[in-house]
Amino acid sequence: MTRSFVNIINEWDIVAARQLCREFAKELGFGIVDQARITTAVSELARNIFLYANQGIIIVEKIEKDGSVGLIIIAEDHGPGIGNLAKAMEDGYSTSGGLGAGLPGVKRLMDDFSIDSEVGKGTVIKTAKWLR
Amino acid sequence: MDKKIANYIKTHKELILSRWKSEMKEQGDERFVRVVSNRVFDGASQQFIDLIVSNLMESNEEFSQRLHKFAENVVHIGWPLNFVTQGIRKFNEIIFHGMSEEGVVTRENYMEFTEGFDKWFGPMNDEILSTYTSTWERTVTLQKIALKELSAQLIPVFEGISVMPLIGTIDTERAKQIMENLLHGVVKHRSEVVLIDITGVPIIDTMIAHHLIQAAESVRLVGAKCMLVGIRPEIAQTIVTLGINLDSLITKNTLQAGIEAALEMTNRKIVGVEVES
Amino acid sequence: MKIPILKLHDCLLISIQWELDDETALQFQEDLLNKIYQTNARGVVIDLTSVDIIDSFIAKVLGDVVHMSKLMGAQVVLTGIQPAVAITLIELGIKLNDVHTALDLEKGLKKIKMELGE
Repeated sequence: MTRSFVNIINEWDIVAARQLCREFAKELGFGIVDQARITTAVSELARNIFLYANQGIIIVEKIEKDGSVGLIIIAEDHGPGIGNLAKAMEDGYSTSGGLGAGLPGVKRLMDDFSIDSEVGKGTVIKTAKWLR
Repeated sequence: MDKKIANYIKTHKELILSRWKSEMKEQGDERFVRVVSNRVFDGASQQFIDLIVSNLMESNEEFSQRLHKFAENVVHIGWPLNFVTQGIRKFNEIIFHGMSEEGVVTRENYMEFTEGFDKWFGPMNDEILSTYTSTWERTVTLQKIALKELSAQLIPVFEGISVMPLIGTIDTERAKQIMENLLHGVVKHRSEVVLIDITGVPIIDTMIAHHLIQAAESVRLVGAKCMLVGIRPEIAQTIVTLGINLDSLITKNTLQAGIEAALEMTNRKIVGVEVES
Repeated sequence: MKIPILKLHDCLLISIQWELDDETALQFQEDLLNKIYQTNARGVVIDLTSVDIIDSFIAKVLGDVVHMSKLMGAQVVLTGIQPAVAITLIELGIKLNDVHTALDLEKGLKKIKMELGE
């Protein structure tokens, strides 16, 4: 298993996405705390898709670089996009009345993080975690 | 043609060696040559030249295997990498020069000889480089493991009270490891109060302080209290100077004061026992 | 699926035994507040020992339920938060600052009794 995905269409898919990614992380040999970090990050990303874009996809994939193994999570949607990226990456910023932990929180939980968004076209977030 | 080179080396071994040594001493890494004694240098040089010569002279069979062994031996001598690669280049030059002087290498077969040399020295260089790199990588990995073993363990001292002594510099990776050990220890030992002792931590910067605060907050979430003890004067100074806010943490200057406070928090105290004389 | 709420003297005990989805969490919030209203409970212990993930949404629901209960006169203690969950919450930036916590159900009940001055 090197690549799996879950389509995010309704609220239940958030749970499906995090279960998939937890299994994936476990199989790759991530410890229990890293499993929780990855699962929580996936939950945040999946919820963002559900709340802001209505639907999208969460992909999880095994990656290798310089002898290290890790996993990458790709959250992709064709929703409204994020107007102010800098603002969305600020702590405490939220347009949904949540806790505002969202994206900066995900960045802290993972090792690598990148975001690509265009208003009217959608958002792609890629975030990776490496086995220590 | 390979034979010609090998023959030349065989018959001129002493000359090549003495030239090589003097040139290496002259232009080589002066700092390095100075620190090793002449005898050690001579010994290692002899060994080094022997290695190259045997590598050249012996049959072509299992060339790569022998090359690997050669590289391992060179690494074993313990010279700095740049010194070794310089040495090989120098060796190459001396032979080429010598052979031209004697008229073995001529204008006509010049290209042929250059190619012949490349065929030997190229792989030799590559192999040495990769052997050096893998040796370093191995060392780094071992050191990382050693550092991980240094990572703190939580020690229960009284019922409900545990201490985690921290020693040495803390980087992000170690800080995360410490946090995990701390929390798992709290749950395992059912500690109500944990004391993090930083007496053995040389400096506290913003990053480390941040991790300590995070650790304390996580400890609170699992249902215990966290105390920071062993704060030396210079640490207190840096904390305030850097503008780090440790208000969310209970702090004490010594482990002893911390233990007393922890006992008080769990409604206990240490009393002296009167002994009949 | 409904989360069962048990009553013990003037306390309510809840042990969450499976992964919370959004709907269950919101349903639980409503059920708990109704139960407090019906029983006049003064203390609530929510045990999270079996929960292995709390994201920002679930954390918000839990934080809210604590504050709402307080408004209705019931003190809430969260117990058994797993180390991995605690670390993840803190890294996410969620501190649950004014929420009481305890290591396990037993210590949680003790804490409530102390808070209530019993």
